[in-house]
Amino acid sequence: MPTMKRWSSIVLSVCLCGLFFFATGCASKPPSPYAQVQQETTQRGAPKAVAKTATQGSQFNKFFPTSANGFERVYAQEKKGFAEAKLNKDGKNVAMLSISDTKSLPSAAQKYASSTAKIAGFPTLEIGTTQTGVLVGDRYQVKVLSRDPAFTKVERQSWIQKFDLNGLSKLS
Amino acid sequence: MSKPIYELVDELPNGGVTVMALRSLDFVVPGEWQNLIGFNNTITAVTGESDPAMVQAIGERAVALFNDKSQGYQNALWLYQTVDSASGALGAAALANKVGQDISFLGFLKNLTPKPEKAQSIDFSVKLVVELVAFCQINGIPGDSIGDFLAALGDYGGESLMRMAALVCFDGLVPLGPDFALKGLSALQNMSPKELEDNSTFKGVRSLIPGGDAAGQLSFITSSVDSVKGWMTDFVDSRGLTPESVVDNLTKFVEVSKDKLDYLGAFLDMTTNYYTHTGIQTLTRRLIERAVAEL
Repeated sequence: MPTMKRWSSIVLSVCLCGLFFFATGCASKPPSPYAQVQQETTQRGAPKAVAKTATQGSQFNKFFPTSANGFERVYAQEKKGFAEAKLNKDGKNVAMLSISDTKSLPSAAQKYASSTAKIAGFPTLEIGTTQTGVLVGDRYQVKVLSRDPAFTKVERQSWIQKFDLNGLSKLS
Repeated sequence: MSKPIYELVDELPNGGVTVMALRSLDFVVPGEWQNLIGFNNTITAVTGESDPAMVQAIGERAVALFNDKSQGYQNALWLYQTVDSASGALGAAALANKVGQDISFLGFLKNLTPKPEKAQSIDFSVKLVVELVAFCQINGIPGDSIGDFLAALGDYGGESLMRMAALVCFDGLVPLGPDFALKGLSALQNMSPKELEDNSTFKGVRSLIPGGDAAGQLSFITSSVDSVKGWMTDFVDSRGLTPESVVDNLTKFVEVSKDKLDYLGAFLDMTTNYYTHTGIQTLTRRLIERAVAEL
C-alpha cells in the first residue's frame, strides 16, 4: 500500500510538472511586436496601405538618374505610389534609389518639417544610418539608401541631386 | 487569410531536407544564398538599420503593405505555396521539414513513383511560369510581361537566383536530363489544352496564370518557356552542370543514392518546398526594401 501511495504521488507530481511546463511554456511566448499592426491592417474596414489617389509608380521612372561612371541603374519595383531602382557597381548592389508618394503615408512627409537643410531647394533629412531623403513638392519623397558601407552619406547626397527633382515637383 | 508575414519569416527552418538540398546547390551559385531567417533579422540584413525603433517602424510598414491585398504580395505567396504543394505528390513537404534529416531516401523509396516525363515537363514549365507571374506581382510589372522578366533574370541574385538554380537542377536536370528545356518545350507544343487542364500542378495555380482559357494559358506557358530557354541553357552550360554533378553534391547534404536517379526527382518533389521557402525570403526582402524607402 505505501508503495502504491508513493507511486501515485510520483505520478501526480510528474503530471503537475508537465502541467506547469505546459502552462508556463504557453505563457512564456510574448506577443509579437507586430501583433497590433497585424490586427489593425487585417480587421474589417482596415485602411489600405496604399492610398487610392497615389500616383502610379510608372510615372516616376523618368525622374530617376541614369546609369553613369560605372554605376548601373536597374529598375526593381514599380507599384502604385512607389518606384525603386537598384544602383549597381561592378555587378554589386551598392545603393537603392526610390520615389514614393506620401499620400499613402502622411507621416513620411510630416517629418520634413524638422528639416533645417536643403538640397536643390528641397528640404532634406538624414534618416537612420543609411538613408538620405528629400521631400519634393510637399508630396513626393525621394531617397537614396546605402547598401554598401563604402557608399557614404556624401555619395547619397550627390546621387539624390541626379534625380530630376524639379520635374518631379511639377507632377504634384 | 494567410499567417502574418512576420510569423512566416520567423518560422522558416534552418535545417531539414529543403534547406540541405538548397545548400547542396551552393556550388552552382556560390555564396548567393545564406538562408536568411527571422523577420527583424531580415530587416537589419537588408537595410543595414539596427536601431530597434527604426527596425520596428520598417517592420510595421512591411506588414501593412503585405496585408493590403491590392499590392499583390499575397498573390505571390499563394503562388509559391500552391505550386509547391500541388507538385508534391503526397503534399509531404511540411512534414518533411519538421522531421528533417530523419527522412531517408531509401526509407521513402517504396512510396515513390517517378513522374512520367510529360507530367514532369509540365511541372517544370508551370513552376517557371509561377516564378514569372510571382515576380510581376511582387515588383508591380504587368502580369504577362515576359520581356521585363527576362531582363530582370539577368540581375537575379540571392535567394531568387537560388530558387532558379533549384528549378533548373531539381525539376529540370535531375528528372529530365541535360536537354530538359527542349523536352519541356516539346511536351508543351504537343499538348492539348485538355491535357494541361488535367495536370494537378497547373490546376493548383491556374487562376493566376495569364491567358484567359486553357488554350490561352497553354500558349502563354509555351512562349514563356521558349523565351527563358536560352537563359536556362546558358545557366547550365556556363557552369558545366550535369545531373551527376548535382546529385554528387546533393549526396553530401542529403542521404540519397545515386543509382536511383529517376526516383530522386520524385523524392525531392515530395520532401522539399524550396519555392515556398525562398519565395517567402524574396517577397520579404522586397517588402522591406519598399517599407524603408517609403518611411
